[in-house]
Amino acid sequence: MLTLTSPVETPLHRLRAGVKLAALALFTFALFWTRSPLWLGVALGLVIAVYLTGGTIFARHGARMLRPLWPFIAVIALWHLWQDDLSGGAVVLLRMVAAVAAANLVTMTTRLSDMITVLERLARPLSPLLPPRRLALAIALVIRFIPVLSERAAQLSLAYRARSGRAPGWRLFAPVALAALDDAECVAQALRARGGAG
Amino acid sequence: MTRSTAADDDGIVLTDASVTLTGRPVLHNLSLHLHQQRIGIIGRNGSGKSTLMRLMAGLIAPDRGTVRVEGDDPTRARKKMLSHLGILFQNPDHQILFPTVDEELAFGLMQMGAPKSDAQAQVTAHLVRHGRSHWRGVSVATLSQGQRHWLCLQAVLLMQPRTILLDEPLAGLDLPTQTRLARAFAALPQRLITITHDPASLTGCDRVIWLDGGSVAADGPPAQVLPLFQAEMQRLGGLDADADLAG
Amino acid sequence: MERSLTHIALFAALIAVLGLVPPLYLAGAVPVTAQTLGVMLCGTVLGARRGALAVLLFLLLVALGLPLLSGGRGGLGVFVGPSVGYLVGFPLAAFVAGWIMERTTLPTFWAATAGGVIGGIGVMYLCGITGMAIVLNKTLAEAAFLGLAFLPGDLIKVVLAGLVTQGIARARPGALLARA
Repeated sequence: MLTLTSPVETPLHRLRAGVKLAALALFTFALFWTRSPLWLGVALGLVIAVYLTGGTIFARHGARMLRPLWPFIAVIALWHLWQDDLSGGAVVLLRMVAAVAAANLVTMTTRLSDMITVLERLARPLSPLLPPRRLALAIALVIRFIPVLSERAAQLSLAYRARSGRAPGWRLFAPVALAALDDAECVAQALRARGGAG
Repeated sequence: MTRSTAADDDGIVLTDASVTLTGRPVLHNLSLHLHQQRIGIIGRNGSGKSTLMRLMAGLIAPDRGTVRVEGDDPTRARKKMLSHLGILFQNPDHQILFPTVDEELAFGLMQMGAPKSDAQAQVTAHLVRHGRSHWRGVSVATLSQGQRHWLCLQAVLLMQPRTILLDEPLAGLDLPTQTRLARAFAALPQRLITITHDPASLTGCDRVIWLDGGSVAADGPPAQVLPLFQAEMQRLGGLDADADLAG
Repeated sequence: MERSLTHIALFAALIAVLGLVPPLYLAGAVPVTAQTLGVMLCGTVLGARRGALAVLLFLLLVALGLPLLSGGRGGLGVFVGPSVGYLVGFPLAAFVAGWIMERTTLPTFWAATAGGVIGGIGVMYLCGITGMAIVLNKTLAEAAFLGLAFLPGDLIKVVLAGLVTQGIARARPGALLARA
């Protein structure tokens, strides 16, 4: 399964996942607590500096992950220019970009297996309600069945095209959902055959 | 097989077992004692053979009658069943639960109570023994159909059940893969119960049971049952029965 | 137990797969993705509780770092960005859509469509617009103005959710766990 973890090894990759997540929580809290454009600017500068320690390829990858923010940045910038409230606009934009960039940084430098380990530790108090093994099994099943279902969707799409010459579009949704329901029944049996969900 | 006096707690015993699914009777008063090493169950689509498999595995309960696997009720003694009986489903994509090879193999061992580290060590040793140590951590999605079948079989074998149910084990595989898998099955020390509609794959069995309409149509050595089955299938093939809708 | 677990997991996977469908562009600029349709289907097909759990499981995988949101987005960043309210709204929307499906006796299409309107639009917009207002430091009215660009696309999706749910009910009576 493709993850967002960067293949470029940075010093942050070696830090423990729990430490990174705790630091991120504190940093994000601080961002939403301060209203000073100067401090927010420093915070963003700090995040950028950490990105750059990973090298330019890593930093460019980080910048690409911020692309979905552009429409919001444009709208907010125009709005505050029109309202003639530059410092207010700066606060909103610096905070948003710094918060998202810092969170992405943790994602990019932490392997999926390490994240799951932290999650299992965090979920331990819930164990009477949600046994950790069941949670791990659920996560594994989703990762396993995303490629299976998308392959099924591709087959159904081909079968539709073969008979109509057109792309199926939304007509594909019901058969794909039915495939998910059928697979769920079969997989439940396979799971029971191997001792159940515990 | 020279096991002339098979005790009741040996193998699988069905006593007057009946199953009704969504209001339709699927199996009627089946009484069977399955204790031979190689057993084939043959029948057409809808003859009830898949239901029989689910019944023996404890995935469904009989509406009437009883099912015992080595003396245990398979719907109740779920943990014990793991060492009694394993199933190889027809479609590996419905059986493989985990995204990577080693997670898939380790799961069954952990279900039987092995600690995670033990399970992983056993999996590694197993892969090395089969010359597939490079499969560790490999994504299941990248395996071929034949490789996925092999993975499913190993996941079952690692749990060391005494009986393995095979549901159409060779369907949809190319010839070299079929030959390889058939050879792997033949070498297994376990009792194998093969469910299929293909008589050719049952010639080496000790016993063949022909299931038709939820009842036993014939039961005996393959040389006796398979010719009867084939003659009936040829006769049916000559009719245009598929025009009739069921129900 | 096993059936609940596998239904929840398979529908979490379904939301991810629907996120791979290329978006349709309304008026050339506003993307309409199939992903929120998946969220609504979780509710209308699986029912309130399982539907919400499927969506939560999906979001958990996104948070763990899998690029499963439409457009290949994912990771922790999306949970502090301006769209966070919509993500919070996902499980609530599925729950409400499922609840309406379970508690009303309307025909399948109308129950699913009503569930989509109230859950997939009402609840989702309430959460999404509140989230934008907080992250972008705007009033609710200002944030609502931004959010409304997506309304035509979401109305299409609500009707689709109704049609797909009805299609499932016809193809496999009894498959709708929300109505089981």
